[in-house]
Amino acid sequence: MKALILAAGEGKNLVPFTTTRPKPMINVGGRFILENTIKLLKESGINVINIVVGHESDKIVQYFERGADFGVSIHYSYQKKLSGIGDAVYKVKERFNPGEYFMLIYGDIITSANIFNYTLHSFNMSKEPVASVCLTPSTKMFGNVYLDNEMKITKIIEKPKKGDLGNYVLSGVFILPSRFFSVLEKTKFNMELALGRLIGEIGLKASIWEGEWIDIAYPWDILIANKIIMDSWGEATISKSAHLIGDVRIEGPVQIEDNVEIRSGTIIEGPSFIGSGSFIGNNVLIRKYTSVGKGCIVGYGVELKNCILSGNSQIGRLSFIGDSVIGNNVDIGSGVMTINENLDRSTVKTTVNKKSMDTNLNKLGAFVGDDAIIGSGNTTMAGTVIDSKIKIPHHYTYPK
Amino acid sequence: MCGISGIAGFKNIAVPLLDSIRHLEYRGYDSCGIAILGLHGIEVRKNIGSVDEVNERERLSEPDGKLGIAHTRWATHGGVTKENTHPHLSCKSDFALVHNGIISNYRELKKELIKEGHKFYSETDTEVIVHLVEKYFAPSKDTEKAFIKAIKRLEGTYAIAMIAIYEKDKIFCAKKESPLVIGLGGDTNYIGSDFNAFIDYTKNAVVLDDDEYAIVSKDRYFIKNTTNGETVRKKITEIHWDSDMAKKGGYPHYMLKEIYEQPQCIINASQVDKQHIKKISDMIMESKKTYLIGVGTTYYVSLMGEYQFSSVAGIFTPAISSDEFKNLAHIDKDTLIIAVSQSGETYDTLNALKYAKNKGAKTAAIVNVMGSSIARLVDLTILQGSGPEICVISTKAALSQMIILLMIAIEIAVRNKRLTSKNKIEIERHISNLPEIIQKVLNEKSGLIHTIAQKYSHINNWLYLGRGKYYPIALESSLKMKEVAYVHAEGMPAGFLKHGTIALIDENLYSIIFMPPKSDEDLYRLSSGSAEEIKARKGFIIGFHFGDKKESEKLFNEEIALPKVPDVIAPFLELVVAQLFAYFTAVALKRNIDKPRSLAKSVTVA
Repeated sequence: MKALILAAGEGKNLVPFTTTRPKPMINVGGRFILENTIKLLKESGINVINIVVGHESDKIVQYFERGADFGVSIHYSYQKKLSGIGDAVYKVKERFNPGEYFMLIYGDIITSANIFNYTLHSFNMSKEPVASVCLTPSTKMFGNVYLDNEMKITKIIEKPKKGDLGNYVLSGVFILPSRFFSVLEKTKFNMELALGRLIGEIGLKASIWEGEWIDIAYPWDILIANKIIMDSWGEATISKSAHLIGDVRIEGPVQIEDNVEIRSGTIIEGPSFIGSGSFIGNNVLIRKYTSVGKGCIVGYGVELKNCILSGNSQIGRLSFIGDSVIGNNVDIGSGVMTINENLDRSTVKTTVNKKSMDTNLNKLGAFVGDDAIIGSGNTTMAGTVIDSKIKIPHHYTYPK
Repeated sequence: MCGISGIAGFKNIAVPLLDSIRHLEYRGYDSCGIAILGLHGIEVRKNIGSVDEVNERERLSEPDGKLGIAHTRWATHGGVTKENTHPHLSCKSDFALVHNGIISNYRELKKELIKEGHKFYSETDTEVIVHLVEKYFAPSKDTEKAFIKAIKRLEGTYAIAMIAIYEKDKIFCAKKESPLVIGLGGDTNYIGSDFNAFIDYTKNAVVLDDDEYAIVSKDRYFIKNTTNGETVRKKITEIHWDSDMAKKGGYPHYMLKEIYEQPQCIINASQVDKQHIKKISDMIMESKKTYLIGVGTTYYVSLMGEYQFSSVAGIFTPAISSDEFKNLAHIDKDTLIIAVSQSGETYDTLNALKYAKNKGAKTAAIVNVMGSSIARLVDLTILQGSGPEICVISTKAALSQMIILLMIAIEIAVRNKRLTSKNKIEIERHISNLPEIIQKVLNEKSGLIHTIAQKYSHINNWLYLGRGKYYPIALESSLKMKEVAYVHAEGMPAGFLKHGTIALIDENLYSIIFMPPKSDEDLYRLSSGSAEEIKARKGFIIGFHFGDKKESEKLFNEEIALPKVPDVIAPFLELVVAQLFAYFTAVALKRNIDKPRSLAKSVTVA
């Protein structure tokens, strides 16, 4: 079976990260979301992958190329005008033969285990179109899926009117027949209507996913996704070429890649990840759910907690980065502090798409876009968003 | 639902054939049998009971032969007898046949065949097929032609497998609406109702479509269209999953599957034989005392029955836990015992029934497994028709039993003039609406129940409170939590709380209250009072209720608000919510859901 991954969307709610990259190129658990998806597809025996790219498409094409480094064969389709999911799916019509089934994947989901393999199992049992479904606290965002006792989907209500509904929602993985393209034509490329029509004409079976699942919609979802992935790690893996100098303490499932250098006095609590070529200075405290991307430099005495450094970033000595997401190639000076809670313990608010939004999280630090520079001695408010390429000068107390 | 299988091999196939029906047992297990073609013709061994029980008595793996068919049955209507068990033989024992499905025109066919001198041994629809084949074989002496001719006469649904003494290496099979697959093993070929029949032996299979027939030998097979006789070319499917997953029909666990089957089970329960409901009502009316007995879940079902009999029918029928029966009950020949048991094999209940019978009591039972020990022992059996319940935790069977007890209560209420026949029809209408309402609750509340269950899955102690009919529901719900999630939950009448247990309540004690609808005024007021008592002591409380969100916000910390329904069916809806709550808690805690530690499906020991 071939796969079709949708990776064209703009992800406006994920600014500052999507200013410079498409959503699937956001880093979680030490890997890009798309890299994670491709790895799981390969493990499920799916090697031929079509990706619909659009927004910042170069970032994807340059990284994955034709897929050789990832053991798969990738073909790209371009959606120049971003005009919805149905249209994006239809772009790939020519790549599938009549009568062929394909796996359709939304490019922004993260799960605790291999959802693709599970959906494939469900399909193999019935040989009918399948949609993976899972339970979420609210169906407001994802639509309420109605099932009968044979797990057939009877209807999907995209925007339930009543507020107190909660049932299975579409989790963004489908196995569909190539006939679906003609259904899309009939419904003017409206995905919602097309699925409705598919249910009526051919049928759509649910595959119930009971593992953890998240659709990354907001910046703080990146931290939740990071936790989901890291919680699935059972063991520590440390590369042979990693260089641990002197007294370095490692606890729990910590992944350390090639050519990492870690200096004496550092403590790493798992699950955590240190990407290849990174340097971790003396007496650094890396706490749970920290992901240090490739080629980062972390200076003396830094504390990292539940945070992501995407890659090629530097953190100067004696800084604290907690409950935060730091983009690629960010330069953070010495003694920078990301404050991660409000004094009155209220939930932290942040800015999404120029609007203030409550994250419902008690602890949240900062979101820093790619190529930003934060000078030494700065302290950031809980929930701060620092746009890509912003330069914040050093903060002096003297001279005033 | 029944399961059929067959094997054409190059060596003795009795052992794998027995295995195949063992793997199909989840499709039904009240009787089973095999037919094997040996040197001296076709040998049939069959009897009633589970595959292992029948094997013990009949030694199913003993016959020698390289060709055989097998069947495992689940009767929803009609008797479980050795005669009715498949395989069925033709008059001259030259053909043996198994069948899954329903032949709707069997009466006409049977009449015709009897007229022509065929002798029938069973009451099944299946037996006509094998006699039809025999009839058409006589002139042509061609098995395939006779098979096709017979198939063409059938109306209804079928998956059929047949062997004949004239064809030493051929299984003849045909399909219409009932499932049938062929397994390709290289030197041995298999057939089955589904892949489970042969999944241990081969992963390559061909799926038959409607109106196709196949002739399967050990190393070859062909498939033809039944209507035009043209050969059909089929793709070989590789099976990628384990048999367990297939049996669950794609659901992650049997428990969830069976919770989702409840709407259908209620329909089945409400269609049980009306004569049986009348008969058991006669028995109750004629007896001086009636006891309802069960143990574990079925004790709580009995307790629910006690409340229904009291409130609807106006009679007092104490529920007694079967294991305590001897210590409590006074029995004479005017006593009636109504036992409730899913498996019909529950040791404690069986024992209590035997004890009561010895003292001259009359007995009746509501069971799910026909032909079970309890069903054979009692004077009257009501078969609940819920289909096999595989998960050790009872959900659909318990709910169906409660519905059947309610229907008996209604029947008695009419006789006692507590209900007019107009009232009766109205209540029956409410029951007939219940499946759809449950389906709606499953489809619109699962996510909310899941969220709350996940959020509080770390809580180790729960109080489950209810008044009136909601008390047995609270008890049964708390048992679900204990069984599947290994979390302590104590069911209690809400009014009982203030007489002691209330001392426990502080912000660390978590409770669930099962609220009646507002229309049940007194009960609603008293239940709200209990919730307030907890609230006043800073206790945490989840409300399952039928009220408005705004009003209830003051009363509960968390809530599941249900659609407004008539009083008579309200408790059942809350039971479904509690089943899901226990299920999702167990999922969050990663429990062994379908086979919890220390538990067995039917407890057959003292």
